[in-house]
Amino acid sequence: MATVLVVDDEFGIVDVLETILTDEGYRVLTACNGKQGLVRLSEEKPDVILSDFMMPILGGGEMLRTMAAQPAYRRIPVIMMSSLGEDVIAERCKGYAAFLHKPFRVAAVLSTVARVLGTGANDAA
Amino acid sequence: MAGDPIDAGGQTPLARVPTGIPGLDTVLRGGLLTAGIYIVRGEPGAGKTIFGNQLCFNHAAAGNRAVYVTLLAETHDRMMQHMQTMSFFDRARIPDGIYYVNGFHVLVEDGIKEFIDLLRREIRTHNATLLILDGLVATEESSGSDREFRKFIHELQAHIAIEGCTALLLTNGRRNEYHPEHTMVDGLIELHDVLFGTQTERELEVRKFRGTDALRGRHSFRITDRGIVVYPRIEALLARPTADDQWPDERCATGVNQLDAMLGGGIPRGTATLVLGASGSGKTSLGLHFLSRSSALEPGLLFGFYEMPLRLRHKAAGLGIKLDGLIEQGQLEFLWYPPTEDILDALGDRLLEAVRRRRVKRLVIDGLLGFQEIAADRPHRIGRFLTALANELRVLNVTTVYTAETRNLIGGVIEGPTSGLSTIAENLILLRYVEIRSQLRRLISIVKMRDSDFDSSLREFRITATGIELARTFDSAEAILSGFPQLKTEELPADNAARRPRVK
Repeated sequence: MATVLVVDDEFGIVDVLETILTDEGYRVLTACNGKQGLVRLSEEKPDVILSDFMMPILGGGEMLRTMAAQPAYRRIPVIMMSSLGEDVIAERCKGYAAFLHKPFRVAAVLSTVARVLGTGANDAA
Repeated sequence: MAGDPIDAGGQTPLARVPTGIPGLDTVLRGGLLTAGIYIVRGEPGAGKTIFGNQLCFNHAAAGNRAVYVTLLAETHDRMMQHMQTMSFFDRARIPDGIYYVNGFHVLVEDGIKEFIDLLRREIRTHNATLLILDGLVATEESSGSDREFRKFIHELQAHIAIEGCTALLLTNGRRNEYHPEHTMVDGLIELHDVLFGTQTERELEVRKFRGTDALRGRHSFRITDRGIVVYPRIEALLARPTADDQWPDERCATGVNQLDAMLGGGIPRGTATLVLGASGSGKTSLGLHFLSRSSALEPGLLFGFYEMPLRLRHKAAGLGIKLDGLIEQGQLEFLWYPPTEDILDALGDRLLEAVRRRRVKRLVIDGLLGFQEIAADRPHRIGRFLTALANELRVLNVTTVYTAETRNLIGGVIEGPTSGLSTIAENLILLRYVEIRSQLRRLISIVKMRDSDFDSSLREFRITATGIELARTFDSAEAILSGFPQLKTEELPADNAARRPRVK
C-alpha cells in the first residue's frame, strides 16, 4: 500500500484528498503547511507528496527546497497543486514531479498520483 | 498617500492607504489610515470578499504587497475563479504581490495565540503592508470567551502597528448590531443589500472612522465587472460646491431669436432654467434649439431619460435644427439613461463626469421627472440631490436647461413635478396649451429670470418645420386667452383671470 502525504492549508481540500485517496487504497498522511509537512517526513517516508504552493508558515516552494537539500527526501516525488498557472510554479519551484491545477477533478488526481508513483517505482528500480 | 485637509486639528495629515475602489476613497477622504485596523461587515453576498480582493489587487498594482488570510470561506481556487471575471484581477500579482493562505487549521488545532503568530509571520515573511482576514467570525467562535477575542484584536492591532501594515477584518453581521470589538478597531464599514419595494440596492456605510472625517450616511454601490464601484451620495459629496460661484454677467442664446429678445439677450450664463410644460408642448424642442448653439467654446450635452438619441436627432432634423455636424465634431453629446432600475447617485456621477470630461457649457436635462422616478422609493432625497447638483453645475459655469412635465395638460393652474424647484432654477419658462374653439394653441411665457428684466408678456408660438416660432407681439396670445381670438387686443376685457398662470 503506497503512502501519500497531502500538504495543504485548506482543510476542505485536505479532507477531500484524504477521502478519495483512502478509497483508492492509499495510506494518507496530512499536514496543513510546509513546516508540518517536513515534520511528517521526519516521522515517516511517504511514496509521494501532494503539496499546495501557497501556504502559511512554510509554502510548498520552500518545502521543496528544504527537501532537495536533504538526501533522504530528495527522491520522494512531489506533485505541486495550485490555482496559479504551472508557469508561475515552474519559475519558483525546482524538481517537482507533476503539477495539478486547482480546481481539479478526482480522475485527474488519481491518474497523476498513479503516474508519478509508477515513475517513482521505475526510478527506484 | 493622499493628503487630507480634514485630518484633525490642522496637524500633519495622517498617512493613508488608498483603497483604489472607485468612489470609496472619496467617501473615506483619501483612504484607510496606514496601520489601522478595520472591520468590514455585511451579510452573506454583500460583497465583502470582492471588497477584500479588490483592495489587495489595487494595493499590489501600486507596488505594495498584501496577504489574504481565509478562515471559513470558499476555497482559494474557487475564489480566484470568481474574481477573475473582474478587471482588477491580475493573476500575475500572485504570489509575489498577493499571497493567499488559509489559517483555519492553525486556528482550530493550535489556538488563537498560534493564529496571531501565523498572521504576524505572514506579514513579515511577505513584507505585507495590507492584511485581509476573511472570516473574523471563525476567530470569535474559536475564542474561549469575549475577553479572549478582544485580546486577539488588541494583539493584532499591536502587531500591525509595529509592522506598518493595514488590516481589514471581514465578518458577517447585520446592520445596527454592535459588538465590543467595534470599540477597539479604527473603523467599521458596513455593506448592505437593501430592498426598496421590489428593487434591491447595495449600500455602503462608514459607521466609524477614527482620526479623520468620512462622508457619513449610506452610499450606493454596485458590483460590476470592474469590481465594487461606490457612488457617494451627491448631496453629501457636494454639500458645498467644489469651487466658488461665478458671475459672468453674460447671456447665452437659446437658439430662438424671438425668445432671446424676450429674455433681454438670452439666458444669463451659468444659471439654470426650468422649462415647464405639458406633454408635447415643445420643451424638448426648445432644448434642442438651445443645444444647436453648441460650439467648441461652448460644448453641449443632452442628458435625457425618455427619448433615445437617434429619435432626438430625427426630431431635431424635422425642426430644421442641424445637430449631426455638432455631434460628429464632438461639440455636442447625447446621453440617454432610461428611468428603469438605476442608482440616483450613479446618474449624478455620470452627468457630472460627462460635464467635466468635455467642459460642457450648455446642458439640457430632458425630463427632470427621470430623477424622481429613479428615486421613487426615496422621495425625500430628490430635493437635496437636485439642489446639490444644480449648485455644482453653477460653479462649473454651465448654463442648464431642465425640462419638466406639468401634471395637467390644459388650464390656468400649473402643477410642477416637484416642490422646491426655485432652489434649482433661477429662471422659469412656461409652455402651455390653450384650447380655443376645439383647437389647441401653444403659449410661452417667462415667469422669472435671475436678477434681470424680461418681457413678461404671453406669446403664442408654433412648432414648424423650421423650429419654434414665436408671435412677434403678445396680441394673439391675449386674444387666445380671452377666448375671442378674432377680436383685436384693444377690445379684450381688462380683467381676465386666465391671463396669468398660477404656478404651484
